[in-house]
Amino acid sequence: MAICTVYTTQSLNSTCSIYTPSTTKTQLSFHQKQLVLFSSSKRSRSKRGGSNTCVITCAAGHSETVVIGLAADSGCGKSTFMRRLTSVFGGAAEPPKGGNPDSNTLISDTTTVICLDDFHSLDRTGRKEKGVTALDPRANNFDLMYEQVKALKEGVAVEKPIYNHVTGLLDPPELIKPPKILVIEGLHPMFDQRVRDLLDFSIYLDISNEVKFAWKIQRDMAERGHSLESIKASIEARKPDFDAYIDPQKQYADAVIEVLPTQLIPDDNEGKVLRVRLIMKEGVKFFSPVYLFDDGSTISWIPCGRKLTCSYPGIKFLYCPETYFGHEVSVLEMDGQFDRLDELIYVESHLSNISTKFYGEVTQQMLKHADFPGSNNGTGLFQTIVGLKIRDLFEQIIASKAVAPAQATKV
Amino acid sequence: MASLASTGTTRTSFLASRSSCFCSKKVIVTVSVQQKKAERRNMSVKATGMAKFKGTHMREKHLTEMIEQKVIEAKQVCEGDMTSDECKVAWDEVEEVSQAKADLRRKLEEQDPLEFFCQDNPETDECRVYED
Repeated sequence: MAICTVYTTQSLNSTCSIYTPSTTKTQLSFHQKQLVLFSSSKRSRSKRGGSNTCVITCAAGHSETVVIGLAADSGCGKSTFMRRLTSVFGGAAEPPKGGNPDSNTLISDTTTVICLDDFHSLDRTGRKEKGVTALDPRANNFDLMYEQVKALKEGVAVEKPIYNHVTGLLDPPELIKPPKILVIEGLHPMFDQRVRDLLDFSIYLDISNEVKFAWKIQRDMAERGHSLESIKASIEARKPDFDAYIDPQKQYADAVIEVLPTQLIPDDNEGKVLRVRLIMKEGVKFFSPVYLFDDGSTISWIPCGRKLTCSYPGIKFLYCPETYFGHEVSVLEMDGQFDRLDELIYVESHLSNISTKFYGEVTQQMLKHADFPGSNNGTGLFQTIVGLKIRDLFEQIIASKAVAPAQATKV
Repeated sequence: MASLASTGTTRTSFLASRSSCFCSKKVIVTVSVQQKKAERRNMSVKATGMAKFKGTHMREKHLTEMIEQKVIEAKQVCEGDMTSDECKVAWDEVEEVSQAKADLRRKLEEQDPLEFFCQDNPETDECRVYED
């Protein structure tokens, strides 16, 4: 048994990391005098010649949580994106154990995902009384959202309310501890300027009306109460509020994933084959857009040919610079779908700046979640790539902070 | 160098002694890992997609009924004025409960969402094992 003791003699507004070779880093935030007793039991299975050292390093200064914002309408793929994202960072994201079973929060080793519905100021009854949809800013408490996201970013735990989607009520709050990566997902992550300024990276899922309709049919047709008419009516009734409050957020996003019907099949209205555009803002810190062959040029690419055989309708790529709401962007577009593994790996090998740690990582991630919706088309591909870009962004941010650690206390 | 958990599956012990050769030898660690996980959880894993606990079954039922009920309500409210606030709110509620039901269905594919809650609170009414 090895016991390491750390005495702090002055108040450190600091982060201490406790690192052992066999476990992942544990990060603690201290804001006052603390006595840390750390004991590690020696594992019976020791690696060849390895010694079990524990290293405790303390760096003064705030441990800033990296905050990512994800905006999309209800039923547009946020959950799927979250699952892919947390998978890229490693570990399975699960609801907090031992708390409210209807919590919307997901927690993994590195990441905490918060659903912004938790910041509803009006519950279902309240919204009905006021005649206000969940899309309406008046149904949301942006002051609280800003306060709590800011606190988490600065390393302070918060008691966040819970909006229960089953009962439609606001439940007692749950404790959220500051994670390494905080993802806020919902209808309004970029609506409030103050919250927007806290985001290190933001993504908007822009689903076209035809695709939205097709997805909601897939989601709801099995339900007893629903029919094509009711699904259509629901989308149309919500459209004015969606256009007024949610859609404008896409101009602020660092990356937009736009999903449209395919152009490869004339009159395809099943929404099965999709044309997906990854719109990436230029000039975002720590984010370099993905490109095809030659950065900044215009490329049209059909990978199917002599080296690769694709089945109907095939795959078509487009890469070009564009302007989006007054910003310079690079657009990578994929139309069609993957039918075989070798198509995927072939495409991956021709993309540049995808921030993979090894050849085939994108393919591996896609295969890992082959049962997720969109795994055979651009939605899955681009969501996975964005996940890798965010991982890269996170590592760059951490590296840039490590270059200047203020006073380090010696152990 | 591979150390395999001994759970009665094939132990390729010759690999351990030949620790210098990492080549292309396949190590088979299949069902044993799943069994160990289930053992650790101390519960058998029911068929995926099915509610295991009464609480989850009740939520499913509640959401299903609400979808039906709220669609009927929305159609009624919108008969008068399709652009009214009441009409918007009614269909928004339909969307909310439809998404909640879809989320629950998806979670059920992996495991009952009450699994961890019921490990800590097995005596509550919600955690009675649901029998069809």
